[in-house]
Amino acid sequence: MCKNHVTPVHCIIPPYMLNKLMESDNKKIADLAINTNFRSYRFRSDRLFFHSASLYEKTILGMLSKKSAKEVLQMEVYDCYQKTDLASATLIWDSKNNQKITSLAGKNVIKGGVASWDFYWQLFGRNSIDNKGLLIRQYVHYDKGMDNAYWDGRRMVYGDGDGTVFTSFTSDIDIIGHELTHGVMENEANLDYENQAGALNESFSDIFGIMIKQRFNNQDVKKSNWLIGEKVLIGPKYALRSLKAPGTAYVNHPELGTDPQPATMDKYQNLPDNDAGDWGGVHINSGIPNFAFYVAAFNMGGYSWEKAGRIWYAVLTDKKLAQNANFADVKNNSIVNAEKLFGLNSQEVKAVKQGWNEAKV
Amino acid sequence: MKIILIRTGGFIPVKKVAETETNITDQELGNLLEIIRRDPATPRIRDGHYYTLTAGNSSSGVDLEKVPTEYKDLFSKLKNNLKIVKET
Repeated sequence: MCKNHVTPVHCIIPPYMLNKLMESDNKKIADLAINTNFRSYRFRSDRLFFHSASLYEKTILGMLSKKSAKEVLQMEVYDCYQKTDLASATLIWDSKNNQKITSLAGKNVIKGGVASWDFYWQLFGRNSIDNKGLLIRQYVHYDKGMDNAYWDGRRMVYGDGDGTVFTSFTSDIDIIGHELTHGVMENEANLDYENQAGALNESFSDIFGIMIKQRFNNQDVKKSNWLIGEKVLIGPKYALRSLKAPGTAYVNHPELGTDPQPATMDKYQNLPDNDAGDWGGVHINSGIPNFAFYVAAFNMGGYSWEKAGRIWYAVLTDKKLAQNANFADVKNNSIVNAEKLFGLNSQEVKAVKQGWNEAKV
Repeated sequence: MKIILIRTGGFIPVKKVAETETNITDQELGNLLEIIRRDPATPRIRDGHYYTLTAGNSSSGVDLEKVPTEYKDLFSKLKNNLKIVKET
């Protein structure tokens, strides 16, 4: 008898024997044989499917998540001491030595970096920014009072804020997740940083940034306030962006005025494709796909990363997505990926369609 | 000559402006702009800031990392005096 099963019917049985057993007068043996036949069929068809699956399909099905024990977070944190020369910044922490540090900004980016790496690894089997274990480099205290955080193509850089309007850009975990996701984006869809493709590029960073924060805080779609940078922008009524209600993150702010993000396509802002025009409003029109994601995730319920997050990750890593994709392209792609992941007429597909419809895309 | 430094871009696209009177001549300004002009082919930094220098009829995107030593104090002062232009 097979050592792994309590009944011989669950072992590998030649088909002719299985057919005989399915016709047995003994109902218990016949039922077990039918069950085994069904499992064998599914096993064969699954194996056939997985054998021909593309790398992308394997990724979205989580088949590449089992990595060796060597695949651990590798991260370094540097202190710029308010200078702008990144090359002369001082290494204050690395994941190999896990030094004790006193810098609050340093502690913040370690926490945010770990949460972001865990998010991509534990949910999608993604090993760091490039899925090849890239060393994550984060630079804090950049420049004097710089009110910004950015990804320069190799590393994440954070300023301390001016102390009046903005505090340290390390204060919110969603901003750290946002910047790290720019790196993921460069290694995947690599959407152009202008016009609609650029707004989608920004939107993916916001969406993964908020999911990283929600997961870190164990917040479901109802508990989350869907605000990005709520600590960075000083004042209890303010945040940098709202995915739930784009255009309301700050209203009548004494210095900034009112959040310019639209939530729907009919309010899309045609801005110049230059630095003064935010490259066609990449940080402005991102409100539209952000809102589509919020509606989709909210209608699916539960934790955003469990369903909506899987769909958006599948889009982000879909080799079919062109670098100059527009909102309609990502809408269609997200519907196709939702159908692949959850079924043609699933609630998840309906929720994705509802999201884009609400955003009037 | 009055020179104006404009900063755009960032995680939220806030425009900031600073200006100052200088003794820079047209010739010096031309030479300076040649040195610090931003290469338009430079990859766009995600969420990065961008600077534009305006003086008289000249206006050019500039890279502050390229500012020569003799102008460092001037640009440092301008950067420190940048004020948000409130969007209406």
